[in-house]
Amino acid sequence: MINPSNIFLHEAEYLRLKSILVMTQRDLRADLVLLIDRSGQQIAFEGPAHGIDMTALSSLAAANIAATDGLARLIGEPEFSILYHQGKRRSIHISDVAKRFSLVVVFDDSVALGMVRLRVKRATAYLEEILRGFLRKAESAGSASKATSGSSSSLYFTDEDIDKLFSFLKPGS
Amino acid sequence: MTFINYVAREINCKVVYYGPGLGGKTTNLQHLYEITNAENKGKLISLATETERTLFFDFLPIDLGQIRGLRTRFHLYTVPGQVFYDASRKLILRGVDGVVFVADSQEERLDANLESISNLNQNLKEHGFDLGKIPYVLQLNKRDLPNAMPVEQLKRLLLVKGEPVFEAVAPKGIGVVDTLKGVARQVLVELRKSA
Repeated sequence: MINPSNIFLHEAEYLRLKSILVMTQRDLRADLVLLIDRSGQQIAFEGPAHGIDMTALSSLAAANIAATDGLARLIGEPEFSILYHQGKRRSIHISDVAKRFSLVVVFDDSVALGMVRLRVKRATAYLEEILRGFLRKAESAGSASKATSGSSSSLYFTDEDIDKLFSFLKPGS
Repeated sequence: MTFINYVAREINCKVVYYGPGLGGKTTNLQHLYEITNAENKGKLISLATETERTLFFDFLPIDLGQIRGLRTRFHLYTVPGQVFYDASRKLILRGVDGVVFVADSQEERLDANLESISNLNQNLKEHGFDLGKIPYVLQLNKRDLPNAMPVEQLKRLLLVKGEPVFEAVAPKGIGVVDTLKGVARQVLVELRKSA
C-alpha cells in the first residue's frame, strides 16, 4: 500500500468524535468547531458556521499549521502547539490533537480566550483518546481498512466505475 | 492521505501539481475551475505574490462524481515552482495521494524540469513516500511554443518510471482534463488495492 495513513471513518467513531465537538461548541457558543487532519481534510464539525467555506478553511488551517511547524523548527522549537488569530469580531484558535489532527475553533468577541483554551484542552483529551484508539486499531489490524472492516467492501469498484466519473464538466467543455 | 468518510459517503483525495516555476501549474487549476460546474467545485484559493507568482499554494476542491454511491472529491494543490520556496513545497506534499508533474516543454527549461523532478523525489522521501510507487503522471505543457522540444526526447529525459504522459497547452485547456483523469485513475486504483 502506498499510503498507509489512509483514514476510514465509520459511523461509530464519527458519532463519538461529533459528540465532543457538539459539547465544545455548546459550551463556547462557538460559530464553528472543526476537526481536521494535518493534510487539510475535514473530519467532522459542529456549529452554525455562518457561511464559512469549511473546505477552504480546512485547507488553509492545515497550511497554516504546517507553515508554523516549519517556523518552530527554524528557531529550534519542536512545535507551536497552539495558533491564535484575533480579529475585530471573530477569532480562530487552532490546536494540535494527537500530532496528526487539529481542532479549529471559530468564535466571536463575546467569548473569552481563556474559556476557549480551557474547553479546547478538555475536548483535546477526549478526542485524543478516541483518535489514538482508532489509529491503534487500524495499525494492529495491519491496515486502516481492515481495522474498520464491514463497510470497506463498498470500496470495491471496477475500472468501468472509474471511467464513469468526471461528470463535473460544464456541457461542451 | 485518502480520507474515506462512510458517514458522509465521501472519498477525499489530495493531488499536488509539481514542477518548475512558470510551467503552468496554476493555469491547470484555473482552467479546471473555469470548466467545472458550479455545484462540483469549491473556491479556487491562490496564495500568490503581487505579481501573481505562487507564494505558498493554489487550492481547488473538485467533486468528480459518484463511484458506487461514494462522492469522489479531489483536493488539487499547486506548489510554488521557484527554487527558493522549497520549504513551502515540502509542506504541501504532506498527506499527498498523487502527483502531477507539469513540465515546461521549452528547451531552455529542460534543466529546470530535471532539477524539479529531483527536488520532488527528495521532498517525497522526507514525507516517507517513494516517487517510484506513488500515483504519478507527467504533463508536457506548452506544446504550442516554437521552442518546445520533441515529445519523444522529453520522455527519454523526464520519465521516471513509465508513467502516463499527457501533452498540454494549459491556457487553451488542451490536455488539462486528461491529465487530471490520468492521476485520479491511479489514485483510485491504488485506493482500491489498499481497501
